[in-house]
Amino acid sequence: MSQNSCIELHNVSKSYKDLLALNNISFSIEKGDVFGYIGPNGAGKTTTIKILVGLIPNFKGEVYVNEKHLSKYKDLHKIIGYHPQEVGFQEWRTVDHALKTFGRLSGLNKNLLENRIQEILKFVNLEDVRYKKIKNLSGGMIQKLRLSQALLHEPEILVLDEPLSGLDPSMRYQIKGLIKDLAKSGITILFSSHILSDVQDIANIIGILHKGELLKIGTPDDLQSDFQVGNIIKIEVAKDSPLCQGLENIPEIEKVEQLASNLQFVHLKSEINLDLIINQILKSLIESKCNIRNFSVVKPSLEEVYLKYVGGEVK
Amino acid sequence: MSLLLLFLDELKGFAKSKIMIILWFGLPALAILLHFIQPETEDFPITSLVTIVVSSIGSTLSSIMLSTSIVNEKNNHVYELFLVRPVKRYSLLISKFLAVYLCLIIAVGLSLLVGLVIDGITVGIPEDFLDLIFDSLSISLSSMAITCSIGIFFGVLVSSVAAAAILSVYLGSQLSSIILLPTFFSETLDPVLLALTIGISVTITIMIINIVIFNRKQF
Repeated sequence: MSQNSCIELHNVSKSYKDLLALNNISFSIEKGDVFGYIGPNGAGKTTTIKILVGLIPNFKGEVYVNEKHLSKYKDLHKIIGYHPQEVGFQEWRTVDHALKTFGRLSGLNKNLLENRIQEILKFVNLEDVRYKKIKNLSGGMIQKLRLSQALLHEPEILVLDEPLSGLDPSMRYQIKGLIKDLAKSGITILFSSHILSDVQDIANIIGILHKGELLKIGTPDDLQSDFQVGNIIKIEVAKDSPLCQGLENIPEIEKVEQLASNLQFVHLKSEINLDLIINQILKSLIESKCNIRNFSVVKPSLEEVYLKYVGGEVK
Repeated sequence: MSLLLLFLDELKGFAKSKIMIILWFGLPALAILLHFIQPETEDFPITSLVTIVVSSIGSTLSSIMLSTSIVNEKNNHVYELFLVRPVKRYSLLISKFLAVYLCLIIAVGLSLLVGLVIDGITVGIPEDFLDLIFDSLSISLSSMAITCSIGIFFGVLVSSVAAAAILSVYLGSQLSSIILLPTFFSETLDPVLLALTIGISVTITIMIINIVIFNRKQF
């Protein structure tokens, strides 16, 4: 077990009758990490999260939080803040009443709680609706309220289940901003989404889950680098320069695409030695007396990487 | 600590609900209405009649309220936010039961008070009125406790609001009448003592079953 790890899952599996929701999932998150847990709906993200927050006690495998076994962690609620995916509020309560109840249940002192609620509502910009009934709030406001109750007790770890789902673009931007601010404060965050763009500019580690299996885990760069080989090389020359000729004759090249009078995209075959082929292309460029302005390997976007994984192209 | 907090919270919620407001104002109004409908009660004080009728209606409504609110809260994943905190599952059910039961006792108490005033004005308060009230109140409270626990049972068991409401109406009020059954078979048994014994033991049994089922639910 790593000393810096905050959350560790070892061979975690969970079945619901005949359905295998999680199949031998293992990963670890270090303190201060922002872990983006992505996968299509039904991949097993919520099941993993519910195991981690203690809502699903019966599962196979081991889970450690701050090096303590989950089943023996009596004060887990004190260090984890949980933002559930779905509603989760009794609508007859006001925002203030709901936060007071959850604060008291989390063990916060009555006097401290008053200030803390004020602080949190200011942070999420819900001060104006403090005494409004929850049934009168918009979807975005309820999402902010979910985040507020998770932050009330100043947790070390924040677990967010689809915090951006079902929101309009403006509210998505706002909530994403709040998560970014929390990430900057050093809190460890695990948040799930079925949309990669939700996590890619916040997370420093991304895990791709599909049909209960963790297909890939790594930094955004790691994920992209997996797909460099077999992709595209962009060649841009000066406007009055000739284009590179004879590239089609190199057997490792699948096709050459001319996108403008000075721009070529060279599509490479898969499973080739990238360094060798780059040398060959550069040699051809020099022989063709091209005035090179830009020569780069085009990386696939993270979205493409994600789609390739969940689309079954990569195992 | 969490049980008391949840009880006070639920009390606040239920006390402000429309059904409870109907009970608190509607049941005493019903007591007055009963007097006008049935003024010829002769030696039978309106207070006893009011207690039985009002508690029967009140407990049926409370049972519906309990079952539908639990189904709604289950379907809306309300319990997740409680269960990630140090809250025992049984506290969620017991706090609801106690809050509704207390509201119901207040509603029946108010109606009883109205009945007593009517009796005082019309036929006069009989000498043994305290015994009469105690008898009818004991039977009513026992029956109300059973009905409320049955409401919770259907709330925990089913996932459709309509099904929970229908089952609570039909089975809740039917099953709560079991407290009167032994008195039909034996005249030597004290009906009040029997009602209290059966009421308490059946309510506790049903609540234990409710807690066992609720503990097995996954949220």
